[in-house]
Amino acid sequence: MIATIVDWGALLKVIWVSLAGGIGLAVAYSFVVLGVARAGDERRRERPVPAVAYGLLAVIGLAACAFALVRGYQFVVEK
Amino acid sequence: MHDTTVLVIVIATALAFDFTNGFHDTANVVATSISTRAVSPRLAIGLASALNFVGAFLSLKVAAVVGKGIVAPASVTLTIVFGGLVGAICWNLATWYFGLPSSSSHALIGGVVGAAFAAHGADAVLSEGLLGKVVVPALIAPILAFAVAGAAILVVYRIVGRLRPGPAKRGFRLGQLATGGLLALAHGTNDAQKTMGIMTLALIASGNLSAAASTPDWVKVTAAAAIALGTYSGGWRIIKTMGSRIIKMDAAQGFSAQSAGAAVILTASHFGYPLSTTHVISGGVMGAGAARRLSAVRWGVAGNIAVAWLLTLPAAAVVGAAVYEVTELFGGGAAGPIIVSAAGLVVIALILMRRLQTTSGAAAAAAAVPAAE
Repeated sequence: MIATIVDWGALLKVIWVSLAGGIGLAVAYSFVVLGVARAGDERRRERPVPAVAYGLLAVIGLAACAFALVRGYQFVVEK
Repeated sequence: MHDTTVLVIVIATALAFDFTNGFHDTANVVATSISTRAVSPRLAIGLASALNFVGAFLSLKVAAVVGKGIVAPASVTLTIVFGGLVGAICWNLATWYFGLPSSSSHALIGGVVGAAFAAHGADAVLSEGLLGKVVVPALIAPILAFAVAGAAILVVYRIVGRLRPGPAKRGFRLGQLATGGLLALAHGTNDAQKTMGIMTLALIASGNLSAAASTPDWVKVTAAAAIALGTYSGGWRIIKTMGSRIIKMDAAQGFSAQSAGAAVILTASHFGYPLSTTHVISGGVMGAGAARRLSAVRWGVAGNIAVAWLLTLPAAAVVGAAVYEVTELFGGGAAGPIIVSAAGLVVIALILMRRLQTTSGAAAAAAAVPAAE
């Protein structure tokens, strides 16, 4: 009975998009935190190349987070 | 005349429910940010309240009328909606008193189902809809959020585990501002729209609005204002449970729980799969705690919350049915709703007076202690 009542297609989509979105946002933001903290450490050690590389990691992570937040906002508005 | 009086009472009760919805669900949006000290309590609640208000206007499609697909549409009358609203308000206040996060939407559905059952019998309740739209999602929501938050926090710890605690804590606290804001917007859109749907339904049922008409502006503004005011009032008992009684969380756990919650809620609403905000956030908080260490979750508190979730539908249904029966005792006119509303207001006034007396008594006792010393 439950097999016919539940919309399994929508449920599977909810599961995989939620997993991808939730874990993706956490990973992207963790790279922002890691990049900013490490870039600061490297600058203090006067090592510009790793500092720039970590800075770049933070920028990419931030762009991914901004994308996720904009998509989230679109989900709120479009539903 | 009778219809107009009942309509006014139903709309006032819908706004009262909307207020309790905001007040009850404040915890979903702010508890993790407050407990990790990402923001001060007052600022968190002020922001959540403003974003709830804005969120109510973002999507102008009225959310599916509560009970659609769950009770037979032809059976819904103003008195049934009134019974459902009172059942939901009672359950919201009871769970708030015990500090238990529970779903306001499920309470409303339970209340309407109970009142419809009392009015027309079992035929008025569509059991397939109840199972597919309420019971199954209620099982899936916390498990999914638990899994997403648990997986997210494990990855987060892996990435930032070797950082000094200071920068990591500051970073994740900042991140919580964004995810908390998104949650507040989503909550305002989801929940204020439910009340707008009920008010619109009442206006259509009483012949004051044509079925094809869009939601009037005053309905949007009052529903948005009621949920925002409720949010601003803050249900501190539930905030305490959600923020610190389930797990003691750090900023990374708070961020993971919030991002998992936002991802699950927004995805589910996008694909038209109804999940309760409360179930999702509670599951996320437990997942973020359990992934670090199973014993970090206070399973006794989690068990009480699960019991409240199981009782939400039947308890609200019983009150909804009882309110419907009481209103019918006074005939089909306005007398029943007026008497029930007046009795409700008297009970609330008595509770507030008792609370004021307790507070002033405690303040007097506190003032007397230093004097005695």
